[in-house]
Parts: sequence; structure tokens; C-alpha cells
Amino acid sequence: MHRLWSNTRPRLVRFWEGLREWCGDAAYENYRKCAERKGQQSVLSPAEFYVEQLNKKYSRPNRCC
Amino acid sequence: MKRVLQILVWLGLASIAAAALAMIALHRGEPISATWFVLAAVCSYLVAYRLYSAFIAAKLLALDNTRATPSERREDGRDFVPTNKWVLFGHHFAAIAGPGPLVGPTLAAQFGYLPGTLWLIVGAAFAGCVQDFVILFCSIRRDGKTLGEMAREEVSKRGGIIAQLAVLAIMIILLGVVALVIVNALKSSPWATFTLACTIPIALLLGVYLRYVRPGRVLEASLMGVALVLFAVVAGQWVADSAGWSRTFTLSGLTLTFAIIVYGFAASALPVWLLLAPRDYLSAFIKAGAIFTLAAGILLVRPHVLMPPLTRFVDGNGPVFAGKIFPFCFITIACGAISGFHSLISSGTTPKMIQREAHARFIGYGAMLLESFVGVMAMVAACAMTPGVYFAINSPAQIVGAAPEAAAQTISNWGYPLSAATMAGLAHSVGEQTLWNRAGGAPSLAVGMAQIFSTTIGGDRLLSIWYHFAIMFEALFILTVLDAGTRVGRFMIQELGGRVWKPFGRLNWYPAILLSSALIVAAWGYFLYQGVVDPLGGINSLWPLFGISNQLLAAVALVVATTILLKMGRLKWIWVTLFPMVWLVIITMTASYQKIFSHNPRIGFLTFANGLAAQLAAGQIPAAKIVETQRVIFNQRLDAVVTAVLAIMILVLLAEAAVQWHAILSRGQQPVLHETPYVATEWAEGD
Repeated sequence: MHRLWSNTRPRLVRFWEGLREWCGDAAYENYRKCAERKGQQSVLSPAEFYVEQLNKKYSRPNRCC
Repeated sequence: MKRVLQILVWLGLASIAAAALAMIALHRGEPISATWFVLAAVCSYLVAYRLYSAFIAAKLLALDNTRATPSERREDGRDFVPTNKWVLFGHHFAAIAGPGPLVGPTLAAQFGYLPGTLWLIVGAAFAGCVQDFVILFCSIRRDGKTLGEMAREEVSKRGGIIAQLAVLAIMIILLGVVALVIVNALKSSPWATFTLACTIPIALLLGVYLRYVRPGRVLEASLMGVALVLFAVVAGQWVADSAGWSRTFTLSGLTLTFAIIVYGFAASALPVWLLLAPRDYLSAFIKAGAIFTLAAGILLVRPHVLMPPLTRFVDGNGPVFAGKIFPFCFITIACGAISGFHSLISSGTTPKMIQREAHARFIGYGAMLLESFVGVMAMVAACAMTPGVYFAINSPAQIVGAAPEAAAQTISNWGYPLSAATMAGLAHSVGEQTLWNRAGGAPSLAVGMAQIFSTTIGGDRLLSIWYHFAIMFEALFILTVLDAGTRVGRFMIQELGGRVWKPFGRLNWYPAILLSSALIVAAWGYFLYQGVVDPLGGINSLWPLFGISNQLLAAVALVVATTILLKMGRLKWIWVTLFPMVWLVIITMTASYQKIFSHNPRIGFLTFANGLAAQLAAGQIPAAKIVETQRVIFNQRLDAVVTAVLAIMILVLLAEAAVQWHAILSRGQQPVLHETPYVATEWAEGD
């Protein structure tokens, strides 16, 4: 049982991470990491980042027929 | 040994695909199991992916994993974000999968299951997937430039303008047509109308939650939203059962038309976080769930396909829409086989997020194969119902007759037995007042899906819930396209207007926002209105117009791709994009010609308009109908002009490209490629 769990757990974690990335939950964390790596001084707040992303996303065709 | 085994496995898969396709094509008489459709599609896709896409990746495109992609070179955590290929596949698929692959095959089922199924599988493997893959590759090599920008740089300035105009035109026609599908699905259906109306306050609630309470927590908000929407589906039954509420939510086609126009305007003009984005999240989750459930349902139930392989309507006199298999089957099934709109997605967000060039094959080619599979499932769902029921739902009253008994007699005389009692019983069991004359594809697909779902879970008791779940799923899907498309159309109009008068182009100036929103809504709203008042039901005129514009955009994308590949010196393999391009030009030109000039009034816009004009001149139209008839004449002539303009646009682009190709091939001109220079990747293999 323990072995089954230790085999399954990493897969579940990967799936969960993938799901968070797919739906956009992880976008702000990724942005923060990127900003830290690049040593950016000013970083957007979660709400500012969220609105900025939406404004960009919905200004070009992003949903097909 | 391993190699031999691999070859044997792929030979086995190819044999299964061939056998299943032969079974589908040659089977006559008894109903055929849907298992054959699944086998034919899945095995064909696997073989096409393994062999054809690998060939394109290696020989035609020469994908280079040592080359840094835009997401590596320009990583900023905002636009350029390196993304896991499975996650990006999910993003890309969610973006390309719209109502088209569901509605198109459902409408094309009037020819029988065979032509549509073959085109879905073959068209996707050799045309649709190729377009998506090659355009994605071209855009990756140009830092994620759009189709219009690539057309301007690689073909000509005029080519770029044509591509932009084609995008705007297809957007307007598309929005009008998909809105018509919703109107026909909600007309006289209080349950469905209530459920869909509930999604607006639910989306607003989610919007406020995501903006102010827990910014960006999409997953938890969407799950709450999905639960509320599912509750709304169940609550719709209480509304339908209550005499007073039922009256309130029983709306006519025209009322729904104006409601949708007002909604489109609001979604375009309001802040994007308030209504549009949360609805999109809801739609994405329900879309993924419904498609997965449909696939699982078909695999579990393995329904029998009752529609014959070919119906009598291959002669061009179909009640759903008029026209022969060639070219109208290929125009009607656009998105499940090839869709020009996909080239806008492939040259938008996806290329900025891809980690490796090699992932373009999996994402570009693979996601389109999955979309084609959705189309095959829609075909199975539509063809699994009794043919008589299918034609009763999808035929306009003007063709079959308004009275149920007369309509049932007409359909039975076509060779598809049906009684008025059967339709009344079916409408009752799905919780609708009537299912007659519900053209547009959505209600018949919902009946097909509900029958498959209820066989898996709940039986007849849950048929009405499943039907309204399917209607809600389709309508939610379509409204998302509608509001996102209206907003993009608004930006395009502001960009064009900004060239004439600068303040109009300012995206945060409210008068410009309101005016441009009104313009784009008026444009697609007009097509919607003309569809609703059309005596032949609207779908007959508008769906082919949408198909033509979508396939023309695909032709534009393939012209751009072919030009770029010629410049890259890939003459030997140029047929990979050239053949589908030529095929698309042939079908769209033939369809355009027939839609404008055909002598059959149900096909030719001008013949229909001239016939009505002659009746009007001869005084054969009753006084009460004169204004309505004049409006129909104007609409038919307008549709003819729009079709002609679209056809001329592609001819001009082809001429521009032909000049380029001649110059390249005759070596009179050194080809100039506008690729970003090569930069070696710093990521280790396997990152």
C-alpha cells in the first residue's frame, strides 16, 4: 500500500501542478519567479497581474469557432 | 528486433484503420456500431501522427531543438512563458475547440454518415493538422507574429491587409451564425433559457470573486461556478414546470435575438474581468468535462448508427441546407477537418509559450487530431438517432410543413418513417414543448448526446436533465465565442478607426469603446437578425457563408505557409501545403460561385432574390408581406455581395503570392525570410 502511494503520489502532484498551470492558477507564481530571476524592482500585485493578463488575452483571437 | 516489432505494431494499426474505414464505407443495410467509427478515427490519427507529422517535422520543417524558442529568449513571465508541452496542449486545444466541430458534422449528417466522417478524418490528417502545425512553426520562428503580420512581411503589404480584413469578415459572419444556433436552441424553451440566463449572474459573481476576493484563483472559483451552473440546469426544470415562470422564460426568436445583441454589447464594453473572463473559465471546464463524458459515453454504450451511409439528399435538395456533397459537405464541416480560425490561435499565444521547436508537432498537429475526434463523436451522436427524428428537428417548417402530422408525412415520404406522436413523446421526455423545426444543429446534437448519456447514467428518467445539460454546454460554449469574438472585433475596429482618427484607437477612451462595440455588435447582429427572419430558417443561407469565410481564411494561411516554405528552399516537399491550399481554393470558389449564381433558389442568393422580386413586381405578394419580402430580397443580395468580396480577396492574395513564387522559382529574386536569427538554446536536453 505504501509502495503504491509512493508511486502514485508524484504522478498526482504532477497532475495537480499541470492542472493549476492549465487553468491559470500558477501564472502569478511563475511571474514572480521570473521577476526574481531577472532582478526586477517593481513587481505587480496579484490583482494587477490578473487584470493585465486578462486584458492581453482577450485583445486577440483566443477562442475559435 | 525492437525495430521489427515497431514496424509490425504500426502495420497492425494501419490495417485496423483501413479495415474500419472499409467497414464504414462499404456497410449497407443493418445499422452499424459506433465502435467502427472510433476504431477508424483513432487508428487513422495514430498512423497519421506517427508517420505524416514526423515526415513534416523532419523533412519539410526540419524542426531544430538546438534553437532557442521565443519563450526562452524573451521570457518575461507575462507573454513569453515557457510551458510544459502537455499543459500547452491543453491550452491550445481549449482555444481551438469551439462549437464548429460539434455543429458542422451534425448539419452534414443530412448527406448520411459517410461523406462527413471521411472528410473529418482525411481532411484533418492532410489539411487541418498540417495548417495548424506549419503556421505554429512559422510563428515560433518569428517571435509569435500573427498571421496578418506574417502575410504582410512574407507575401506583400496588400496580403497583410487582406488577411486582416478576412479575419474581421469571418469574425462578423461567425458571430452572427453561432448566435443564430443559440437562438434556435433556446426558442420556446423556458428550461434552456433560464439555465443560460443564470450563467450571467454566476459569471458576474465569479468575476468579482476573482478580482477582489481571491485574485487569480481560477480553479476554486471555476469549480464553484460549475456547481452553480449544474444546479441551474436542475432548477430549470422547476421553472419549466411552473406556469408563471415558464411564460416569463418562453421567448420568441426575435426577443432572444435582441437579448443576445444586448449581451454581446455588454460583454464587449464592460471590463473583461467582470463578465467575459469568468464565463470563459466556466465554459472551459464544462467543455472539457462534456467532451470527455461524450467520448466515455460513446465507448461505453457503443450506440448503433441508424442514419444510412448516404441519404437521398446527396442530390443537393437536402432540407437542412441545399447543395450537393461537393462542395457543400466540405464547407459545412469546417472546424472538425480544417479551420482557418485555428491559424489565428497557432500564430497568437501558443508560439510564445512553447519550450522546444519539436513540441510544435505534438501541439499543432496533435491538438487538431483531437478536435477532429470531437467532430467524429458529434457525427456519431447525430447519426445515432432515428433519421426521421434528425430531419424533423433540423428541417425548417417551410420545407416540411408547420403542422406536425403533415411534417411527419413529408419526412416519411422521403423514406425516413416518423409519426407526430413520436416527436411529441420525445419532446415530452426531454422536457421541451416541441422539437419540430429546431434548425441549427444544437438541439439535435443535444438529443443525440442525451440519449447516449442517459443510456450510461439514469436511463429515461434523466433524459431531460441530460438534454438540458447538453444544450447548456453548447450554448455556454457559443456565448464564450460570441463575447470573446465581439471584444476582439471591437479592438480590430478601433485599430482601423485609429488610423483615420487617432483618439478612436485609444483602448481606454470610453466613447470609442462604446462606439466600436456598437459597430461590431450591429454588424454581426444584422446577420443574426436576417437569419432569424429568413423564411428558410437562416442556417441554409448563413452556415455556408460562414463555412466559405472560414475555409478562405484557411486558404490564406496555407498561401502564407507555402510562400514561407518556398523561401526556405523546401520546393521538393511543397505539395504538403500546396495540395490542401489548392483543394480549399477549389471548394471555396465552387461554393461561392454556386451560392451567388446557382439557378436553384435554395442555393443561389441572386436567383432567390430575383424570384421574390419578380413575384413582388407581379403583385403576387400579399400587402402584409411586402416589407418583409423586400427585406429578404435585400438580405439575399447582401449575402451575394459578401460572398463575392470574400472570393475576390482570396484571388487577389493568390495573385500576389503567385508573383512572389514565380520570382523565387525563376531565381529573379533573392528570397528574403523574416525569421528571427538563430540563437542556440541554453536549456539542457529534456528541460
